[in-house]
Amino acid sequence: MKALKTEEFEVNMGPHHPSTHGVCKFVLTMDGEQIIDLVPHIGFLHRALEKIAENRTYLQYIPFTDRIDYVSSMFCNYGFVLTLEKLAKIEAPERAEYIRVIVMELNRIASHLIWLGTFALDIGALTPFLYAFRERERIMDLFEMICGQRMTFNYIRVGGVSKDLPPEFIPKAKEFTRIFEPKVDEYENILTQNPIFLERAKGVGVLPRKLAIDYSVTGPNLRATGFKWDLRKEEPYSIYDRFDFDIPFGANSDTWDRYMVRIREMREANRIVKQALEQIPEGDFKKRVPVLFKPPAGEIYTRIESTRGEMGFYIISDGTTKPYRVKLRTASFSNLAALPEIARGCLIADLVAIFASFDVIMPDVDR
Amino acid sequence: MNEEEIKKVFTEKFPEKIEEKEVFDFSPAFQVDKSIILDVCKFLKESEALCFDLLSCMVGVDREDSFEVIYCLFSFDKKHKLTLKVPLPRENPEIESVTPMWKAANWHEREIAELFGIKFLNHPDPRGILLPEDWDEGYPMRRNWQGKDFIKRPDK
Repeated sequence: MKALKTEEFEVNMGPHHPSTHGVCKFVLTMDGEQIIDLVPHIGFLHRALEKIAENRTYLQYIPFTDRIDYVSSMFCNYGFVLTLEKLAKIEAPERAEYIRVIVMELNRIASHLIWLGTFALDIGALTPFLYAFRERERIMDLFEMICGQRMTFNYIRVGGVSKDLPPEFIPKAKEFTRIFEPKVDEYENILTQNPIFLERAKGVGVLPRKLAIDYSVTGPNLRATGFKWDLRKEEPYSIYDRFDFDIPFGANSDTWDRYMVRIREMREANRIVKQALEQIPEGDFKKRVPVLFKPPAGEIYTRIESTRGEMGFYIISDGTTKPYRVKLRTASFSNLAALPEIARGCLIADLVAIFASFDVIMPDVDR
Repeated sequence: MNEEEIKKVFTEKFPEKIEEKEVFDFSPAFQVDKSIILDVCKFLKESEALCFDLLSCMVGVDREDSFEVIYCLFSFDKKHKLTLKVPLPRENPEIESVTPMWKAANWHEREIAELFGIKFLNHPDPRGILLPEDWDEGYPMRRNWQGKDFIKRPDK
């Protein structure tokens, strides 16, 4: 039999491919099923949020931060507000800080649940998607209770939060934290030791730690390389130093490790919410801030640990009500930049699993 | 290392062409002349005492009469921070790419080049990144940019 002749060819994956989680195009150079090169094309969701910032007052810009990463809006709200509070030297009341931690960690769980559902869906398991959305629905109900919104909350404001918790929130949230832990076991029963899942995830898409740091990959993807790094522990902001929680980390930096880190992170986030709900004090939920809020002139760069990694805001203030420049440093942007390095040499089916395990969200990349 | 020690190491190595600046929460900050940016970055990355291995963020700024590129650096190993600010002239802004030091700079530089019109010399992949491929309306992040559908709100 004659040897088959092969030649390289190009495949466009996206912009509307179901596994790109938004609008992202990969131009793949293939040799049969193997990827020779991958070039990501981004910018389909570029909404010029940095330009818009220069044309709005600081307080008007908070709703826009919701749209940076709509799956974990609370972090975007908080990152922007924290930067302004540090610049203007405002401290939020203690109750507000507790409320912020509770909503942020609930948001982390909700975001990881979306990731879990879509990740499992991408590698061919339909059931976890339904399970994950069942629990996420409860969190969305809790958020709807406090701010009337299920996404794009606009809840965290300079000096506190927009509304106090309604009286029925705390019992409902406590009920959620109680039932959530066994639900995570349920997800793990379906996936963690499932032989088909292991085949798709173990040893696939290894991202070495040195390369990850070189590309500024942060968050769960960095922790999966065995690097125990979390800004909540290393540079505690808000009141994270008051809670007892662990930082999950992996060992082999493959797709399975990235899965495991996020599963454990949901458990840890649940632990933080539990503690915060026990400790939350009575008191004010917001400090009065002038409607024409003017932070002093100066420059500041602040980072927080969002769901997907390091989220930073570089703000240049010239002492007026509008920012001179706002730069959004989003985790997904840097995380996606590392994808071509690990996709080379993989099979096209594995690319879907790797990309899903990276938890990249396109509005966060394009801004 | 604390801020004073970083300042000392840095100013001893580069006594000329630098100036101290203030950036809250990410200090110390230095303004560096663009002619020595590659040497400075190489030193910051490779020096054992400083060892800045993470390029957290790169920011382009239009200062109306000039441009500025800002590098926010962090060291996982030593847990210290540093901000570098490089002013560039209004006419023909050019600077060496720092991609050889941090691969993360690749996409950040593409973004700044496209939105501000700052040229990064020796960049490995100087394509656009965020704007449409047929974009012909100039550099939208410049302060004086006028687009077809862009309406500037009046100052109050």
